[in-house]
Amino acid sequence: MLKLLKEVLKVGEATLPYPFEPVEVMPGFRGKPHHDPELCIACGACAIACPPNALQMATDLDQGFQSWSLFMGRCIYCGRCEEVCPTGAITLSPDFELAVMNKQDLFEQADYRLAECRRCGKYFAPVKEIEYVEALLQKSGLADDELTSARALLKLCPECKRKNDVSKMVSLYQEKKDVPR
Amino acid sequence: MTVLMEEKPRVGTKYIAALRARFGNSILDESWQAPDQVTVTVPLNSLPDVVAMLYYEQGGWLASVAANDERPLNGQFAIYYILSVEGSPDDPNPSQKAYVVVRAQIPPHQPEFPAVTPKVPAAIWYEREVRDMFGIHPVGMPDERRLVLPDDWPDGLYPLRKDTMDYRYRPEPTLEDENYEFINVEGEGIVQVPLGPLHMTSDEPGHFRLYVDGENIVDADYRLFYVHRGMEKLAESRLNYDQVTFLADRICGICGYAHNVAYSTSIERALDIEVPARAQYIRTVLLEVERLHSHLLNLGLACHFVGFDTGFMQFFRVREKAMKMAEMLTGSRKTYGVNLIGGVRRDILKEQRTTVLQLLGELRAEVATLVSMLLETPNIVQRTQNIGRLEPQVARDFSPVGPTLRGSGFARDIRVIHPYCAYDRVPWHVVSKDGCDVLSRTLIRAEEFFESVSLIERCLDTMPAGPVLTEGFKYKPYAFALGYVEAPRGEDIHWSMLGDNQKIYRWKCRASSYNNWPSLRYMLRGNTISDAPLIVASIDPCYSCTERVTVVDVRKKKATIVPYKEMERYCIERTDSPLKQQS
Amino acid sequence: MFRDSVSTQAVIANSKYAIAPDPLAPQLKAALLKEIHRSVYVYRVDCGGCNGCEIEIFAALTPLFDVERFGIKVVSSPRHADILVYTGSMTRSMRVPALRAYHAAPDPKVCVAYGACGCSGGIFHDLYCVWGGADKFIPIDVYIPGCPPTPPATIYGFAIGLGLLGQKLKTQHHVQGEDEHALPRHPQIPYALRVQVERESRRMAGYLYGKRIADTFLTILEQNPNQVQENVRAYLDKLDDPRLSEIMTRLVTLSADDQGEA
Repeated sequence: MLKLLKEVLKVGEATLPYPFEPVEVMPGFRGKPHHDPELCIACGACAIACPPNALQMATDLDQGFQSWSLFMGRCIYCGRCEEVCPTGAITLSPDFELAVMNKQDLFEQADYRLAECRRCGKYFAPVKEIEYVEALLQKSGLADDELTSARALLKLCPECKRKNDVSKMVSLYQEKKDVPR
Repeated sequence: MTVLMEEKPRVGTKYIAALRARFGNSILDESWQAPDQVTVTVPLNSLPDVVAMLYYEQGGWLASVAANDERPLNGQFAIYYILSVEGSPDDPNPSQKAYVVVRAQIPPHQPEFPAVTPKVPAAIWYEREVRDMFGIHPVGMPDERRLVLPDDWPDGLYPLRKDTMDYRYRPEPTLEDENYEFINVEGEGIVQVPLGPLHMTSDEPGHFRLYVDGENIVDADYRLFYVHRGMEKLAESRLNYDQVTFLADRICGICGYAHNVAYSTSIERALDIEVPARAQYIRTVLLEVERLHSHLLNLGLACHFVGFDTGFMQFFRVREKAMKMAEMLTGSRKTYGVNLIGGVRRDILKEQRTTVLQLLGELRAEVATLVSMLLETPNIVQRTQNIGRLEPQVARDFSPVGPTLRGSGFARDIRVIHPYCAYDRVPWHVVSKDGCDVLSRTLIRAEEFFESVSLIERCLDTMPAGPVLTEGFKYKPYAFALGYVEAPRGEDIHWSMLGDNQKIYRWKCRASSYNNWPSLRYMLRGNTISDAPLIVASIDPCYSCTERVTVVDVRKKKATIVPYKEMERYCIERTDSPLKQQS
Repeated sequence: MFRDSVSTQAVIANSKYAIAPDPLAPQLKAALLKEIHRSVYVYRVDCGGCNGCEIEIFAALTPLFDVERFGIKVVSSPRHADILVYTGSMTRSMRVPALRAYHAAPDPKVCVAYGACGCSGGIFHDLYCVWGGADKFIPIDVYIPGCPPTPPATIYGFAIGLGLLGQKLKTQHHVQGEDEHALPRHPQIPYALRVQVERESRRMAGYLYGKRIADTFLTILEQNPNQVQENVRAYLDKLDDPRLSEIMTRLVTLSADDQGEA
């Protein structure tokens, strides 16, 4: 009994003063996902990686918007979104104070404009994603003429890209075979 | 030094030879998934004999049973009996220990198979589950009740068949109240009490029914699986095989990471992926950190049940250090989520290492003091010695695992029998005792705690250099293999088969407590009801599995509902029996 | 969206345990919170979770966090409860027991959905044996996200429920601005080298630390491509971490090989 008393007294006041004082979490703690909408390019990698589908992408082809959304209530704080994000737009913060009384406050949304295909005018990819890829192409070591044609292709939707490929192949074939056009 | 899997010699060939000697042409096929994992296909009618022979004559223990709807692959159902075969009792040199899987095919137009339970009692829950989930009927099985699916699930709807339903399909409830039929107890001098569908208030995810004669427990039955969520079907549908690791973490709130490792290793074996040595050491460290906090929880509960509540609080206080360690290493106190197929996704750098070593030192000293205080509590020995005995023969028949089994004299620990991760590269000891009682199991957990502390220190000291992740491996559809881990409560074993779409075709995950529950009845018999909570806690089942217990006096033909808290109080104070109060 | 044989709404409406909406509920709850002040009885209903949440609630009762300081006591019967805490994703089996507990607790009461499973069903949200969160059947007043919520997050959640603290999260809706661009980091580094460095770093240190180590290395490389070895050595000497040194040395070799080829 005395031993126990000694032990308890040695430990002293063990209780943390939270919430009257903030409590420190360990470095690398997986808390609330923090989304910086300016860095996001709406590529959807996080939504694909998210195991409980807390992150979702929705496309509005009439208005020309791609929406990123996060439902904090379904998030399992695994951190896969942070790992797959190419721009570092979504990172896990140390914040754990997430309780709410209104369920709507657990939702976050960000809308991004879709670009129109240069040839057919249909919406096909987020503007920011195309810009990002263009910037990567600059540094990819392509020769100047290759770079120019790559950048032109970037502004076409997948269907028009296919049509473009076909017409190119036809021209090449005609050149080779010396067939009159 | 890691040896590539292809170079390791095959283990377990002598059991296949013994099978061939006995059954000859009945062994239709033999295929090896790993040097120590072999699957033999036998005709359906030979199933009980083959399993019984491996179980009792070759030192086999039933690890799991998985059924699989292989009709899209080969037109039949299949059932796999997974045994850990460890050498016959007469073998003077039992060194080969392997997983032998006995497989049989079941024709789709006649979905039934001969039940193995009459020969091997350990199969009882597995065969009930196969019937629930696949509609394949075990012929000759004594227990016809549902096991896993809820009472309000419609008959004839089998979730895990490939053609019955989408994983999101929710049928209308068939009834509003429970109708689970508990067993009737018969015996000389004991009158049979007809217990029909009684209206039990079950606010809890587990419902116990104790059959008593006065204060002595005659038998027990329990209705579990209130937490059945349908994970195995989820793994086949929405998630891809790399995301299932996050699902595996959430199978259990205490040994989630063990399940995570079992799943990851099953896929890695199926795909022949060589996990880097450093990743294996990191997994070992995390598995042992999980063992620390789990055993501390159980020791805290043990204190609580013998009335030493200050000890209970102190154990939980020091347990927070183990939680801090987990948070430091993985970013979360629970749900570590650190595994990917091919390795781990977080490394251990200097800051993590230093903090963990410091916390380990503190833990070792503080827990030593607390354990000695627990053992010096005046009535601890009287309360736990010879209580809740698991006789060795019952253990041999029912294949329990973990400290529950090791308390009955069997030194079976998967970390030694089928080594995985870094357990065969770092020195440590298996703890077993032969008291068969609650005291033995509690002491085993206390000793294992200190073994784990040393294991973690040794792993951190000798951690190899190199990468933590293997990328760029080849995906093989329909490959299957076993993954196994010694979780704090015992062996977790997962059987996985990959599909052709980067998703799992079939995942059977068997948690350790699943093998321990069936033998609990026998542990309760012959004890008084005041000891019931203590005995249940000694098998360390999922915490808070019961809120209310029904006590049926078979002599007086009376059923009384006793709140679990009241049972606990009676266990601690031993005065004012709740039965007397309510009569 | 997904095929139910019957909608969840129908299940709620047709159940003999259905909860009739009460227009007076908000007022009564406010009155309750004012009355109970510092002594609150909490009853926990486990609706089919993995038990991680149970254990974290349990840990909140223990000395390090000690919610009993605030007068919060866990009781063993819903009949004495002021607050009902629902954990777990609401499995089929637990629907009726959850409703029974709700009806047994005296009005007015506050209901809390605890954990990702309680708030929405979590990772199980659309499974056949799960209804998808407590708020499908129970009117919920407080949502505590987390998987599982840590004991401090639990304390915070109860403080919100008791009206002692205001919530921090607010719904956000961002619409892309006119002049909003996102460009790759380290624009001076050739793309192929950047990918190689990031991959090797990830292979060695995992995703989280790998990203940070690669970032640090690429910054050093960008600042002065000709003095990489010396600058990295200075950085590593300061941190004195053998594992970090091992990893960064490999990155230095990678970049040297690349420059050698270029």
